[in-house]
Amino acid sequence: MLSLGAVKWVPETRAYDEAFDRTAAPRPHYRSLVSTLESFTLTEIDRRERLQKISLVDQGITFTVYGEKDGIERIFPFDFVPRIIPAREWERIEAGLVQRVTALNLFIADVYGDQKCLKDKVIPAELVLSRREYKRELLHLAPPRQIYTHVVGTDLIRNDQGEYLILEDNCRCPSGVSYVLENRNLLHRVFPEFFTRYPVRPIRDYPRQLLDTLLWASRASENPVAVVLTPGIHNSAYFEHSFLAREMGVFLVEGRDLIVEDSHVYMRTTGGRQRVDVIYRRVDEDFLDPLTFRRDSLLGVPGLINVYREGNVAIANAPGAGVADDKAVYAYMPAIIKYYLDQAPLLGQVPTYVGLRKDDFAFMRDHLSTLVVKTTGDSGGYNMLMGPFASRKEIDAYATQLKKAPGNYIAQPLIELSSHPTWVDGKFEPRRIDLRPFILYGESIRVLPGGLTRVALRPGSYVVNSSQGGGSKDTWVLAPRGS
Amino acid sequence: MLSRVADALYWMGRYLERAENITRLLLVTEDFSSETQGLAEQGAQSAWKDLLAIFPSAQVAPPASAFAPMSQAYLVGFFLDVANKYSVIYSLRRARENARSVREALTVEMFLALNETFRALEAQARRGLSDPPSLRDALGTTHKGLFTIGGAIEQTFTRDEGWFFLKLGESLERIYRTALVLRAKLPGLAAAEPRADVALYYTQWRTLLRALGSLENYRRSYGARLEPELVVPFLLLDPHTPRSLRYGMEAMKGYLGRIGGGDETTTVLRLIGRLHAELCYRDEPLGAGAADAVFLDRVVDTMAQTHEALGAQYFAT
Repeated sequence: MLSLGAVKWVPETRAYDEAFDRTAAPRPHYRSLVSTLESFTLTEIDRRERLQKISLVDQGITFTVYGEKDGIERIFPFDFVPRIIPAREWERIEAGLVQRVTALNLFIADVYGDQKCLKDKVIPAELVLSRREYKRELLHLAPPRQIYTHVVGTDLIRNDQGEYLILEDNCRCPSGVSYVLENRNLLHRVFPEFFTRYPVRPIRDYPRQLLDTLLWASRASENPVAVVLTPGIHNSAYFEHSFLAREMGVFLVEGRDLIVEDSHVYMRTTGGRQRVDVIYRRVDEDFLDPLTFRRDSLLGVPGLINVYREGNVAIANAPGAGVADDKAVYAYMPAIIKYYLDQAPLLGQVPTYVGLRKDDFAFMRDHLSTLVVKTTGDSGGYNMLMGPFASRKEIDAYATQLKKAPGNYIAQPLIELSSHPTWVDGKFEPRRIDLRPFILYGESIRVLPGGLTRVALRPGSYVVNSSQGGGSKDTWVLAPRGS
Repeated sequence: MLSRVADALYWMGRYLERAENITRLLLVTEDFSSETQGLAEQGAQSAWKDLLAIFPSAQVAPPASAFAPMSQAYLVGFFLDVANKYSVIYSLRRARENARSVREALTVEMFLALNETFRALEAQARRGLSDPPSLRDALGTTHKGLFTIGGAIEQTFTRDEGWFFLKLGESLERIYRTALVLRAKLPGLAAAEPRADVALYYTQWRTLLRALGSLENYRRSYGARLEPELVVPFLLLDPHTPRSLRYGMEAMKGYLGRIGGGDETTTVLRLIGRLHAELCYRDEPLGAGAADAVFLDRVVDTMAQTHEALGAQYFAT
């Protein structure tokens, strides 16, 4: 532990530390921030932190925790030490993300079109076609402008060398962008001094860009009308749905507000029915239309997919895009990028063993105690085995499951996520972080500078999910020097 | 705006108004019955029973024991009984549920005020109050909370369509309930002989004004004189007191005129316009006679029709 002035810093020893190098000196882009923080007394930092907490509660920036009576609303903890990404580093990330989303979109269009990549055996056909996320009903149905992935949230981590790796693609309804915007507002209010010595790239424009992206997706010629479709107040991301609707100045609708008639979608308003041209759906695709997908869905709009088929409504993200989120498809992404773009991937990803491949399965079976094993269908950290931390009994139980249906599993080595100084009990301690940038695919592909940095607030923990004790940070991308 | 949101705001307005009406009627009836029960027990008891005419579908459980005062059963039943659809707690809970479902359409201040008042009331209900003094006390606190909610709405809510639907619900509920209060109380008052007991006679008229939240406004116009020929026209026709039928109908006409598509004459506008014209421009002015009962029944029926017509025009689109 080193002590500089009043505040104490505890550097990371096991993983890559975002702010300090191996000699415990601040990395160049963190120097100003560290010295600003050191100019504060502990009392002052405490006071500011209290201010920030009150602000969060007052504004009702919350998420809903499932399973608790009456949908208990919690605040999403915010850590005030910002994560800083230098301009050069961001350029590489941005280029890598644009490349990846381009390839993902081409891949989705192909598997719902001519299926060339399956015929050319870039990826095993059975692996794609057997997924629950693959919607057979949508075969040969191209969305307006061939865009499937209007909003993508890609999860990035950094390994012990500081190398950025893609962990996951979220092509369905990635959430978290409201926190990105609110975190910036909050930090501006509580620690305005932080910003005086950094050229931080602004992000406030996101809602307008999102609206542009949505309207671009519409085939309607004049004044297309966009809405945000939410499952309703009990959904964990309801705050974000209502936030984005308000920020974009569009209606926040539920399934029951929409009705299909004469091959168009209308919303029920006090002035009668009003046509809807673009739906930014924050409802899982399985629930979108009970006539096409899940018949028991009460959240959806009967007949919606038929209107979509006729081209009279755009849906963002397009139904069926979820096939690209699959964890087994992920393993083939470098090949997919090569196949469609004839380029090498600009961003690395975590080596992945696919249970479907005989050799990979054998390796997985023999090395369970060193691997992280995931089921292909689940997300959010469910049904996962963290081999290095699991007991013998847990591993044996998991091995039995694995043998029954190897195709449902993938495995990856455990990555030491990078750490970031985080204010915990009166000192700055290292905590694991990840990064979810948001990519918009409209007239062009644009990446919001920064994204959501999630932080595991429990010491040593790798789990950054908000439902499991995670918090978040403001994420700064610095403008290139001289601009 | 979305029909669902307009509908929720309309009901929020109705339930908040209803909660305030019940609270006020309980406080006033409690005063009246404790003031008069020694003098005229039957009058005190019938004042409680009138509540069942004012809230026709309400259900009040019988008193806990033969010795318990009648007031207790009514106070508990109309204040804290969640099974009674016309209790304060039921109405406030429904108001809050409606608010929660369209929270993005409200201001933070509105929701906080509503939430806090409801939480405090829930805490009272959990304590299982049963003696009239503490029930009175809790009613007073709730009444203040309801005014805080009203203040938050008044001070912070933008005057767009949402506001008009909320105020429409409030006005409709108010006119409806005022008509029912008058319908329940006027026949008894008209039949009473002033000479029999002057003090009691005037207490009843004063209580009627208080029951409709208008005693002070009345005094401002007529001083302390309490003449039936003045009180009834005041409650029906005064253009300024917010609980007169005339004020309510004019407010509703105003709100309806400003909701989108205000140029066309809708069913709702026709209903309210006709009723307003009859109230203000009839040849024989309304007094305390039998003609009033017929008119008041028409007010009640018209409000029910207006509710239906609002639903058909704006909510079930």
